[in-house]
Formats: sequence, C-alpha cells, structure tokens
Amino acid sequence: MRAIIIDDERLARAELKKLLQEFPEVEVVDEAANAEEGIAKIESQRPDLIFLDIQMPGKTGFDMLSELERSPQVIFTTAYDEFALKAFEVNALDYLLKPVEPKRLADAIQKLQLGEGKEPRLEAEHTNNSILHENDQVFVKDGERCWFVKLSEIRLFESVGNYAKVFFGPNKPLILKSLNALEERLDEKFFFRANRKHIVNLRMIEKIEPYFNGGLLLELKGGEKIEVSRRQTVKFKEMMSL
Amino acid sequence: MLFFAHAYDVQISTRVLLCRIVIVMVAGIFSTHLLRVFIKWRGWLLQPIEKVIPRLMISMVLMSMIYSLLVLGAIEFFSLSIETAKKVSFWTRFLGSTVDNGLFILPWTLIYYFYHFIEKSRKQQMDTLQLETLIKELELKTIKAHINPHFIFNSLNSIRALVDENPERARKAITELSNILRSSMQADKSETVTLEKELFIVKDYLALENMRFEDRLKIEYEIDEDTLDQPVPPMMLQTLVENAIKHGISKQIHGGIVRVISEFKGHFHEMAVQNTGYLNGARNTEGFGLSSTTDRLNLLYGNKAKFEIKQATATLVEARVLIPFESEIR
Repeated sequence: MRAIIIDDERLARAELKKLLQEFPEVEVVDEAANAEEGIAKIESQRPDLIFLDIQMPGKTGFDMLSELERSPQVIFTTAYDEFALKAFEVNALDYLLKPVEPKRLADAIQKLQLGEGKEPRLEAEHTNNSILHENDQVFVKDGERCWFVKLSEIRLFESVGNYAKVFFGPNKPLILKSLNALEERLDEKFFFRANRKHIVNLRMIEKIEPYFNGGLLLELKGGEKIEVSRRQTVKFKEMMSL
Repeated sequence: MLFFAHAYDVQISTRVLLCRIVIVMVAGIFSTHLLRVFIKWRGWLLQPIEKVIPRLMISMVLMSMIYSLLVLGAIEFFSLSIETAKKVSFWTRFLGSTVDNGLFILPWTLIYYFYHFIEKSRKQQMDTLQLETLIKELELKTIKAHINPHFIFNSLNSIRALVDENPERARKAITELSNILRSSMQADKSETVTLEKELFIVKDYLALENMRFEDRLKIEYEIDEDTLDQPVPPMMLQTLVENAIKHGISKQIHGGIVRVISEFKGHFHEMAVQNTGYLNGARNTEGFGLSSTTDRLNLLYGNKAKFEIKQATATLVEARVLIPFESEIR
C-alpha cells in the first residue's frame, strides 16, 4: 500500500513514519505539510492510503477531503479534537489519537487490508483519471456529519442551485458540485442523466413505468420517483436494449 | 381600659374591670395567634409583598370581627357589661368594637409582618452573597485550570519523535511540559502571581510550541524589567499567548511571529500579545480564552482593568490587558 502522510508538524510526520517502519506492507511515498500540498500530492502520487491530520493551517483535513475528486483510504490522526472525534464515532471512520499507540495502528492497517481483499481495486480503471470507478469513494461533509461514500451506494444526484444533493442510504447531504460537472466525471455505464435536474444510478432502479408524452418514470430503491425526459428516454431505451 | 374607665368617670367595680381586662387580653392573644398561624400556614411571608398586603388587610378586618365577637360574647356571657353600654344594641357595639380594635390590630399585624419581611430579605441577601462568592471562586478555579488538551497531546507526540532525533531537546521539553502542567494545577491557590513567575510558564509554553511549529514560529519578548515584580492573575498572559498560537499561528501556512510585551502605561501595567493573523468575527464566539479573560479581570479588579483585542496592523492581531497599579487597588 502506498501512503502519504499529511500533517503540518514535521515531528508528527517523522514520528508516524518511524512507527510505520514496522509495517512493510505500508510504503510512505510522500509527505505534505498542509491541505493544498496534500491535494497536489494525492493527485500526482495517487496513493492507496493517506494519514490525515484534522487541524491544519489554511484548510482542515475534512475540507481537503471534500475537495478531492476521489478519496483514497483515509486514517485520520488527531491529538485531541472533540468535534472531530464526534464525527468519527458517528460514522465509524478510522482514526488514531496522537501520540499513536502502535497496537491501534496495527489494527487500523489490518482493517484496511481486509477491506481491500474483499473488493480488489482495479488498477487498470485508475489509469483513466477523469472517470470515477463505481468502487471509488467520495468524502461528503454536511455540517457536523461526514461520510465516505462508494459511488455504487449512491442512488441519485439532484441539482439544487450550485449544489448537488447526494442520495445514499437514509442520507441526502449537499455537495458543492454542479450536476454537469458530476456528469462528466461519472461512468455513464452506471450513471444516467434522467433529466435536467437528476442523475440516477442505473443499478438502483427498482421499477420502470411509461409516463406522459412517451417519457418514463423510474422508481429507485429508496422510493424516489424520477421522471425521464422524452429526449433522454430514447437514449435510455437504446442503452437498455443493448 | 383603665384610661377609659377614669376618663369617662364611670363607676365600675374593680372586679368587673379586672375581668374585662383578662377577657380582652385572652381574646387578643387568641385572635392574633390565630392570624399568625394562618399567615404561616398560607406561607404569606414567602410571597411577594404586593400580593400579601391586600390579603393581610382582609384578614385583619375578619380578625377584628372575630376579636370583637369574642370580647363582646364573653362580656355578655359573664354579664360584665357596663350599665350605660346596655342601651346600645349588640350590633352597634359589635361594629364599634371592630373598628376600635381594628385600629390596634392593624399596626400590630403590620409590625409583625414587616419584621419578618425585613428579616427574611436580609437572610436572602446573605444567601445570595454567599452564593456569589462561591460561584466566583469556582469560576476562577475552572478558568485557571484550563489548558488546551490538544496542546498537551501534540506536545507529547512531538517529544516522542524527539526522543530519537534529539534526546537533549526531548529531555528539556519534558521539563517544560511538567512546569506548565504543575503551574496550571497550582494556579488556583493564589489570586495573583508576579509577572516574572507567569513569564516562566509563558516561555516554557512557547518553547514547546516552537518545538512543534519549528521555523513557522518566531518568538519575541519586549519586557520592561521593572514590570517583572507586578502582580498579575495567574495563567492570564498564558491564555492570551495560547490564543495567539491557536487562532493565529496555527492557521497560517507559513506561520508567523508571536510578540509578548509588558510595560508601564500611565497608571496601568500593560501586557500585550501580538501575533500574525487576522481578526474575524468568528473569533469572538469561539474564544473561551477571551471571554474568560474579561470575566477574570472583572472579578479581580471590577471595572478598573481593561481588556481589548484588535487588528493592530494589516497582519498583526494584538490582545491587550491593562491592570491598575497594585498601590491603587488597595
């Protein structure tokens, strides 16, 4: 696993690197001292894993993640941050408290490796940088809550002004991305632009019914009913008949 | 009664007179006691005065009536009435007696009520005063004991890294951290310490932050040596420096400078902490340190001390405390 450590304190990075020497399966390929640097290095190095400090100058670790197109695996590191700890516990994100206990680090890494074994990541898919694979995860933050969401878990994107509402599980937080920008990055084999306001996950469709003017009405697994515009219906039928 | 007897010069036998005095006294004690029990039972002493007064008036009228009934009844019963009085009907005498006695009962009851009222409010005042001092003490304690846990754990983490990299510096850092922890625990024992003592902690603290931030943090001291003996609230300068790091330096990607200043300004001892950064509205709401500084100064010096935080230059934020001279407080 290729890893990047992102922390504004050099000593903290040095300490973590030293601890990671015990784990030959994790190779620290780079370091970053702030969020901007972190984003640049994640895009150029494409690591499998990042160790991420929350409190950093400029942008927090959370802010950094929500700017990433696709997020690698993340282990958060923090010294003491009640707010962050609450967010972690609510969403079962993995985190380490500094100074890091070696045993906890071992557990976290082991957990990641188990997760990787179950869903092998296709390196080939990753070579195409602009399109997100369905197993790619995005970090979504909405107020106090935050999630890592696999694209395959997302049912629907709905346009709300400059934002997009993301439907997954029982949640529907907003992200600062336009529907058009999203459409460009999503794999059209799985995500379909149903109309001006909605992109649906084709695997999440439960029922298809004919609708007015030769359009269609899709019912998703979460119960949402989405109308497919007449023009897109032609495209939809074409795709489905293949 | 005796006065009446003599003034009207009516022939009354001593036996009748004495009996009547006994009746008046017994009836008086009985009826006022009744009222007292009633007042206590209804808890009127605990209620606001404007609610009690009208009730008190009504009950006083009623009580005067009961009292008159008792006295007149007893007089009739023991046939002790004076000859001349027999000519007047019972109800007229009753009315007259009620008004008559009411005039005595009114001041008596009012004295009773106001005595208790004043007593009660004095006790209440004492209680609130005691409570206030208690709260003040507690507040001072919690404010003083406040050290950012984020700082402690980050420092420990840096020290662990230094153990291999620079053992000498690691040893020193452990001493510095111990000093800070110790002084934060001892801080609640005294109301003020000398600036010199406070500066020891500040210097240890900044040395530790310097270890964490390395070249991102520059530290400068501008201390007038004469101010070193000045008494200052413990951990106050420390809180300001901590704020300067937390809201200033740690938010700047390239870090900045922290300058600690102490000097005399007119009738005040001025302590200031300047840091690279930008003051924003959000800072006022998030700063436990800032509100606690204002509160502590208020508790210790009343409105004689001043605290302010402002954007001193385009890139420098300054927090400033003005404390009146020791001699002027006493």
